[in-house]
Amino acid sequence: MTEANTTLPIPTLNANSRPAGGLVRWLASERVFRLIPFLLVEGLFVLTILVPFALTIWISLLKWRANRPFETARFAGFENYEAVLTTDQFWLALARTFYFAGMAVALELSIGFVLAMLVSKCTQSRRLYTTIFLVPMMIVPIVVGYNFSMIYIDSGPLNQILAPFMEAFGVDPRIRWLSHPIAAQWAIIIADIWQWTSLTFLIFLSGFAALPRHLVNAARVMGASPWQTFWWIELPLLKPAIVIAVIIRSMEALKLFDPVVLLTFGGPGTSTQTVAYFLWEQVWVFNKFSFGAAASIVLLIIFSILIFFAIYMLIGYRRRVEESAP
Amino acid sequence: MAAEAARKRKLRRRRLLRAGRHAILLGWTCVIIFPVFWMISTSFKDAGEWVTWPPHWLPHQPTLLNYAQIFAFGTLDPTLSRQATEQAFTIWKGLGDATLVCTTASLLALLLGTFLAYAISRFSVGGKYFRHTILMIRMIPPIVVAISILIYYAIIIPYATTALLGVRISMFDTYVGLVLIYTVTTLPFVIWMMLSFIDEVPYTLEHAARLMGAGRIEVIRRIVLPLVASGMVVTFLFVFILNWAEFLLALTLTHPQVTTLTVLLNKFQSASEGRLYGPQAAIGTVVTIPVVVLGLLIQKHLVKGFSFGTIRK
Repeated sequence: MTEANTTLPIPTLNANSRPAGGLVRWLASERVFRLIPFLLVEGLFVLTILVPFALTIWISLLKWRANRPFETARFAGFENYEAVLTTDQFWLALARTFYFAGMAVALELSIGFVLAMLVSKCTQSRRLYTTIFLVPMMIVPIVVGYNFSMIYIDSGPLNQILAPFMEAFGVDPRIRWLSHPIAAQWAIIIADIWQWTSLTFLIFLSGFAALPRHLVNAARVMGASPWQTFWWIELPLLKPAIVIAVIIRSMEALKLFDPVVLLTFGGPGTSTQTVAYFLWEQVWVFNKFSFGAAASIVLLIIFSILIFFAIYMLIGYRRRVEESAP
Repeated sequence: MAAEAARKRKLRRRRLLRAGRHAILLGWTCVIIFPVFWMISTSFKDAGEWVTWPPHWLPHQPTLLNYAQIFAFGTLDPTLSRQATEQAFTIWKGLGDATLVCTTASLLALLLGTFLAYAISRFSVGGKYFRHTILMIRMIPPIVVAISILIYYAIIIPYATTALLGVRISMFDTYVGLVLIYTVTTLPFVIWMMLSFIDEVPYTLEHAARLMGAGRIEVIRRIVLPLVASGMVVTFLFVFILNWAEFLLALTLTHPQVTTLTVLLNKFQSASEGRLYGPQAAIGTVVTIPVVVLGLLIQKHLVKGFSFGTIRK
């Protein structure tokens, strides 16, 4: 859109400009100037992302452990990849990550949607609720993990609150949140929901605010019930917001690491090991560098498919948003 | 009469609905406040009250000991040091490092990102889908980046410099290394947020200035920068918050030379000493307050940053 503008003739001779050095003038010339920031940033990306990745691929082909000198490393071909692909723990951690992300994102979306719908109907207290509901998103994730580790103590406040309900159903009220495999998984999911429902809430709230009022009013005038208006008018119009929330949240949820370190250290056993935690343990605790390198390449390949899919959808929805803009 | 009754019933139903709505919203408010309240409450408790049954919702003997401990200078006063904490767990090192690294990285990313965003917006540098391909960097799981950067910083660079220059230079656990990786990981956010601001500056303004004889750099300095200045402040704060909250890269690429606050907070739990809930809560409170204040200041723009411009405010 701006491409057309730049081709307009721009006078190159101006009387006011101070005589500059040849280098400065060359840098400010049309052809070079536009490329300076691009080359700088691309150079930085190449230096810090591409080169390390190339080296990672090379390391992943070696047989070497970090506790021995680097010179003793020898070429081993695809041995490490074979080890990764045949390690059950890797696949289990990957499956667990998808399970956590799926559960957390589904619940965050539904809670966030309901909250945004209710808040958008408020008139006076709207700003107050919005401000409060946004707070979790701004708290440092590691502090959130720490907060929950304090709440989940066996004799902690959460069990105290739940005790009357539990006793009514005849269940032992002392839930071992962090040392029972299934409870520990839910402990991590709940902490994630607590923090990131605020983001889905925010996305849906701006979705509700952008709903064209005349469509909803027209439906109401024609005698549609509130439920019909919601199902046939509002929900289809909110579809882009829902898709974007799903993409953005799932890409983040699949990176789950901080609460695992703070709450459970992957335990009890391996029941809360996410794939990020598994890799961290392999490399930083067991010093298995080339195994970790191979695993991270495998992980990157798996994630690239998801990333391409996500970006493809984002491009489509962004274009739609731009077209619908006034 | 019948119409009157129907209207009354409708009114009562509406009031009931509103009450139900507020009940749900207040319920969620309690859910949100509860962990934060518990952290602040614990930060004022002495060691004996950290874990009790039934838990103390408010400290029975409020104390500032935890804050005194984390804000202590130098070696700990014997009255402040608990038996469990022989090490001096002061916050100053973490606070200083986090401020230094986050500010430098955010400023660098802002500088590079703003000019690249300008180039993308005005000249479509890098092709039509360049702004989307940049997003990929953000979507790569950080653990994958961490492993390759660790290999790069801690093995390849020392090995290469020893072989080529005869000096062993390691980027592992240095300020430069952490700033560099923070700059790269937050650049996509800067580019996306600045794009949304720069796209709104009308090109005709710049064109007019060019016709009147202003140079390229002068146009940017006198026309574009003043118009996007507030956007730059918002972007800086947003990126600063992201860096401030970052944990995985800081944990894997630094310590003990460079220690950010998030890593420091993690160090408080060790198998041998048990968990020091009090000082941890005090640090959590200190870390949280500035970020929440900054976040509330840029509340309106948060959705722009997190949704990569796909949601229109």
